[in-house]
Amino acid sequence: MGKLKTELFSNTKILICVGSGGVGKTTLAAALGVSAAEQGLNVLVLTIDPSKRLAQTLGIEGTKDITEVPGAKFKGKLFASVIDHRKIFDDFVRKAASRSKESGSSVSAERIFKNKLYQQLSTTLSGSQEFTSLEMLYSCYESGRFDLIILDTPPAKHAMDFLKAPQKLAALFNEGIAQWFRPRQNAGFFVNLLHTGTKQVLKALENLTGADFIRELSDFFQSIESWQDKLEQRTREVHQMLVHPQTHFCLVTSFDMAKLKEADVFAKEIRKNGYHLTSVLLNRVFPDWILPEVEEKSTDPKKQEIYNLAQILRSYYNHRLELYTEFERKLSNEVQVMKLPDYVEPVSDLEGLRLIGSQLEFGDETR
Amino acid sequence: MTSCDNFGEFRREVRERQANFALRDASQKGLWKTVEPMDQKIILVTGKGGVGKSVVAAALAFKKAREGFKTLLVELGDESFYQKFFDLPDVTYKPRTLIPNVDVALWSGADCLKEYALYLLKIESLYKLFFENKVSRTLINVAPALPELAILGKVTSGPRRHGPPVPYDFVIVDAYATGHFLSLLRAPGGMAEAIHYGPMGEQSRSIQKTITNPDICKFYLVTLPEDLPMKETEELDAALKSEFKIQGQWILNRVLETPLKSNDLSAPAQGTKKINFEGYLHTVLQRQEKILESIKNKKILSQSLPFLTEEDPKKLVQLLSERLL
Repeated sequence: MGKLKTELFSNTKILICVGSGGVGKTTLAAALGVSAAEQGLNVLVLTIDPSKRLAQTLGIEGTKDITEVPGAKFKGKLFASVIDHRKIFDDFVRKAASRSKESGSSVSAERIFKNKLYQQLSTTLSGSQEFTSLEMLYSCYESGRFDLIILDTPPAKHAMDFLKAPQKLAALFNEGIAQWFRPRQNAGFFVNLLHTGTKQVLKALENLTGADFIRELSDFFQSIESWQDKLEQRTREVHQMLVHPQTHFCLVTSFDMAKLKEADVFAKEIRKNGYHLTSVLLNRVFPDWILPEVEEKSTDPKKQEIYNLAQILRSYYNHRLELYTEFERKLSNEVQVMKLPDYVEPVSDLEGLRLIGSQLEFGDETR
Repeated sequence: MTSCDNFGEFRREVRERQANFALRDASQKGLWKTVEPMDQKIILVTGKGGVGKSVVAAALAFKKAREGFKTLLVELGDESFYQKFFDLPDVTYKPRTLIPNVDVALWSGADCLKEYALYLLKIESLYKLFFENKVSRTLINVAPALPELAILGKVTSGPRRHGPPVPYDFVIVDAYATGHFLSLLRAPGGMAEAIHYGPMGEQSRSIQKTITNPDICKFYLVTLPEDLPMKETEELDAALKSEFKIQGQWILNRVLETPLKSNDLSAPAQGTKKINFEGYLHTVLQRQEKILESIKNKKILSQSLPFLTEEDPKKLVQLLSERLL
């Protein structure tokens, strides 16, 4: 087990845990962090929304700063941080705005902060949380402070959302939408535009939404036009970071037929796009308890009921193991498949995180 | 100014006339069965990721179907869960039959907006121009709150009598997980506040009114008898109450049903790496009893669904639907 586990972190600067909501990404990201720190690495775990107890364990409750995990003696060092989406987005805007001032055009950060649509944007614009997660990851990566950064990704219905989102956001700038909304002196927004097609499209949009909305939208796009260069540059840098041979993806999935099918699709998709999916972590595969001694017929109704429940749960987990075996056979040539038990209590303390690390079972070896 | 107003008035009139004509036209052709739109009820199902809300939403749909209601089960977003779960050839914007009386569809923000635009613009060429344009597509993909608004607009279009008819007695929405769900609900309010005039503002207010009308919209919060999902559901419930005056109903999913009580069983021995089954059962039942007790004490409107090991998806949903109140 030791050899494979070392491989999980060797030649890895960034490990991105992806997967749909409720599969245990945050806890597993933390456990992998503990495991890497125990191996002597200087590790940072970036989390999205840890439970209160996990945040306490990591020493990041009530702070958004990068904090060293308290009370742990590791061979290496373990740091953690919660990603502060609003602050990172605002910081990015401020930086981009000040930069555009230097280059002559001057759109103040304050103007965009006042825009009513922006106020909704930094939390609701689709892809904004993914954008800020990657922005935070990039700046930590760039700082060179850590041997390994483990990123826990925002909750999403589907695993692919995380990777699609930044492209969506970047497209906003690449298509030159802002040009459309540049006002012509006193002539309204839609007059004097170069293409009649564009004019008609905007008119259609105005019909749908109203002039008031278009005004806000126009103000919004004019404000962000100045950060186009900066954003394009950052999108490129982030992309290079994501496809770098030392950046690895770990797909975390829970265990049912639909989730496994999704994982399968995701594994294909992620490779097609040039990212390195090197491990798949299957959570809640087998029970964390010992099956009771078989007592076929008991006269004690209590014992009989315990026996019945054990039988039901056993067949439930047996079915999971069947699925697992099939899934592993399909994937194990390409990625490292790991499985974890279904813990009785949610893991939130350091001891539990250590235990997860030590219990990571690798498919290759258990066969 | 006056001429501008007149122009706006005129445009609205033309649009309404076109819309009415299209509706009449379509119903004459028998494209849409007519259902009294005011009677349509909407159920939105949400909960923490992984608690089984899609399965519970499907069970609600099966139940309504059994009661004789024509039901549409809708999932939101770009990718279908039900396609994989029920092993269907595909699930798209256009409803497909899942079982008698239950159709299933997948609604993305872009699809909803597209349909709404076609409904309003009517002129096919203009509509094509708009949606086949790279820029407007990009814009629609990310524009703040626009996809959310379009989705809620579509979901509530029946009771609001606005947009193409949705000919079902019940629309059951397998909505987003908690955080994203709140963003979805906040979209119309935020938009109404930002945009006072024009169709966008009006529509936002009308959506907001429908969503918060308990005679039309019901909210189910799915959770598990475990600490983390419970905490998240409590927070969601509080937000729904304070921000929208919405009283959600809880569904406690995957409750282990047994006459045994944790007291009947011996607690797991301390310090052992793996616990025996009785110890495991003790821990699970104790947690469950505590949570059921707290739900009772807090007088939360709730019901339980059992933990089932049925492997056949349709059978599983059917069994759960029979247990729903």
